[in-house]
Amino acid sequence: MTYFELFGLGPSVDVDVPALEAKYRALSLELHPDRQADPKARRLAVDKTATLNDGLKVLRDPVKRAFYLLKLKGVDLERDEAGEQRQMPIEFLEEVMDRREALDAVRAAKDVPRAQAMAAEVEGLRAQALEQAQKALTADAVKEATHQLGRVRYFTRFLEEVEAIEEEALAAP
Amino acid sequence: MKGLLQIHDPLKPKGHAVGIDLGTTNSLVAAVINGKPRTLPADEGGALLLPSVVHYGRDGGVVVGSRALALVPQFPTDTLKSVKRFMGKSLSDAETKKLGSYKFLEGEGVVRFEVAGGNPVTPIEASGEILRALKRRAETHFAGRVEQAVITVPAYFDDAQRQATRDAGRLAGLEVLRLLNEPTAAALAYGLDKGSQGMFAVYDLGGGTFDVSLLKLTDGIFEVKATGGDSALGGDDFDRVIAHEVIRERGLVDPSPSQIATLLQLARNAKEALTEVESTALMFEGRATTVTRAQLEEWIAPLLARTGLACRRALKDASLKPAELDGVVLVGGSTRVPAVRKYVTELFGRTPLADIDPDQVVALGAAVQADLLTNASRQDEVLLLDVIPLSLGLETMGGVVEKVILRNSPIPTAQAQIFTTFQDGQNGMDIHVLQGERELVDDCRSLARFRLTGIPELPAGMGRVEVRFQVDADGILSVSAKEQSTGLSQAITVKPTHGLSDEEIEQMLLDSIDHAEDDMQRRQLAEQQVEAKQILVNAHKQLIENGDLLSEDEKRAFVDGIETLEQLAAAAKDHLELKAGIQTLDEQSKPFVERIMNRSIQRAAVGHRIEEY
Repeated sequence: MTYFELFGLGPSVDVDVPALEAKYRALSLELHPDRQADPKARRLAVDKTATLNDGLKVLRDPVKRAFYLLKLKGVDLERDEAGEQRQMPIEFLEEVMDRREALDAVRAAKDVPRAQAMAAEVEGLRAQALEQAQKALTADAVKEATHQLGRVRYFTRFLEEVEAIEEEALAAP
Repeated sequence: MKGLLQIHDPLKPKGHAVGIDLGTTNSLVAAVINGKPRTLPADEGGALLLPSVVHYGRDGGVVVGSRALALVPQFPTDTLKSVKRFMGKSLSDAETKKLGSYKFLEGEGVVRFEVAGGNPVTPIEASGEILRALKRRAETHFAGRVEQAVITVPAYFDDAQRQATRDAGRLAGLEVLRLLNEPTAAALAYGLDKGSQGMFAVYDLGGGTFDVSLLKLTDGIFEVKATGGDSALGGDDFDRVIAHEVIRERGLVDPSPSQIATLLQLARNAKEALTEVESTALMFEGRATTVTRAQLEEWIAPLLARTGLACRRALKDASLKPAELDGVVLVGGSTRVPAVRKYVTELFGRTPLADIDPDQVVALGAAVQADLLTNASRQDEVLLLDVIPLSLGLETMGGVVEKVILRNSPIPTAQAQIFTTFQDGQNGMDIHVLQGERELVDDCRSLARFRLTGIPELPAGMGRVEVRFQVDADGILSVSAKEQSTGLSQAITVKPTHGLSDEEIEQMLLDSIDHAEDDMQRRQLAEQQVEAKQILVNAHKQLIENGDLLSEDEKRAFVDGIETLEQLAAAAKDHLELKAGIQTLDEQSKPFVERIMNRSIQRAAVGHRIEEY
């Protein structure tokens, strides 16, 4: 059973998140271990609720949802051996390298405002890549979707690094 | 009567289910009575707060609560305060280096305190004593058994700290229905009282721990969106800051454990006084030091900033802004400090709620959850959906942590990660489980290590092992590993690095059962001795007043009976033996009692008032 099926949805890049969350609460009331009196049913309920929780996490987030749809179409970008399937163009890799170097400099200088400005720019790029990936997924263009989600992945990593820099700055008084 | 078999009847209800707030400074027990959660008397004199203090006497006796607290200045190292700070910790933890009057036993693994009366004790055993005291108080209150409890833990407790708390419950003879996060418990107490809907922040600053939780309440579902905090930050640290200032001001070098214990207590009194007044005098060794509210605010500012950091992080994890909250709830005795209230008001931009006594709110919520989990008729009302507070991961090459379950994931949860072999012919794999948010192994909490063996010898990268993490509704982790090509699976029990082994727990349980039987034996004997004494006093009295009702032979037999019981009461080691002796004399006196009653009735009939007899 796919996560979409679990929540009674068809596979789609668009999900009505408030409706999804309402369905999650309804299913939790049914499946949660605290609702089971019998110890055996309770153990099974732990597994079912774990799946439900994971399903919510994946479907609620547009990025995770897109990766999951691509996986349903046969390309699992979460796995390491999927590396070849990404085959990013060399120009893009160069761009990534440049950004990384700039970020390293910012980290060394503890320049949080600059890091946030870079993050805002990358966030925009990520949103564009995601939109294109969603279009490609809807059109069943697996190769294009793989390429765009590969970009999303690079941008996401970059944003995580910015976040780490912010955390470091927050933690140090 | 089913006799002894009844004890093992699984269908027999397990008495009342209670909620317990096992706090750093004070502990409470509460239960739902007639549909309402109520805090039960927990200490002598009917006090609702049981100081979380355990004294170990030279005679091997254990004293818990305010009586133990009173022994702190005299026996600073034999009287353990704030043991919650050491749950799931080892001696190398920073927590053991803070100002305090404990005597630690050197060694690996779990922290052990050197105390009077024999063996060193672990924080788990000391917590077990506190839980046992609460269990007994509740049993006295209900005049019935209490075997099931929901025990609260700071949301920010890691796996080792949770395991330790569950083990303490086991040692106290309690079935732990659930380890409930304290802020969630508080929300439960508020939610049921007010039927609230919306998004709430719970700011919980206790004696030794700080927690913040963001919860969404929708139609009876309590959904924890994010939680954060610091399991080593609380009101005790405020006391320490004050004590440090006095030590500095007086130029004290190397203060003794007893001086430290006294100072910490005085500091606490001063802190509490400053909730009511602007300035107070701390009298130590015949001299007064003035402490003002403004000074306290300044001294604790860095500590409050740490709570602010945790709050901002939780808001970020839940993708929320302070303005989107519908309310902020204050929990924990330390939120009485005016500087804390001021700080929270500024942080969230709104005045926090504190309608329910911040000391009691957690225990009340735990009682509600205990009732929900044991009372089938209430199961439809409320459901709690909680999250895991800290990320769980595995060590990979180069001492880097690969996260498997991210913090604030709803629980229960299960996640699997695949790892490949990195050497040709590698037939084993070390699995090191860690908890924390940092990237390097050294900066995270080590929970367990184990080795998966019997991997088929394959070229590097070809052996694939799936490691599966499962977190149950208590937030406790279990790990299993499976080799993919052969399906060779190893279900591994995670032994907490800083906890007690199952064998140790078993031994402690056996010891405590022995002691419990001893204790009960002693108590029952004492009860029978009281009863024997009463019956003997009465027998002597009747013999003097109504002896004429007996024949000489009857009188001699009765006097013999009295003497037999007197001897037995002085010498009996077993309560059943004494009980049998009491019954013998009771039987023997029946004809006599009958005649006495008849005489009373006759006298009453001729105009005497019955009260005269």
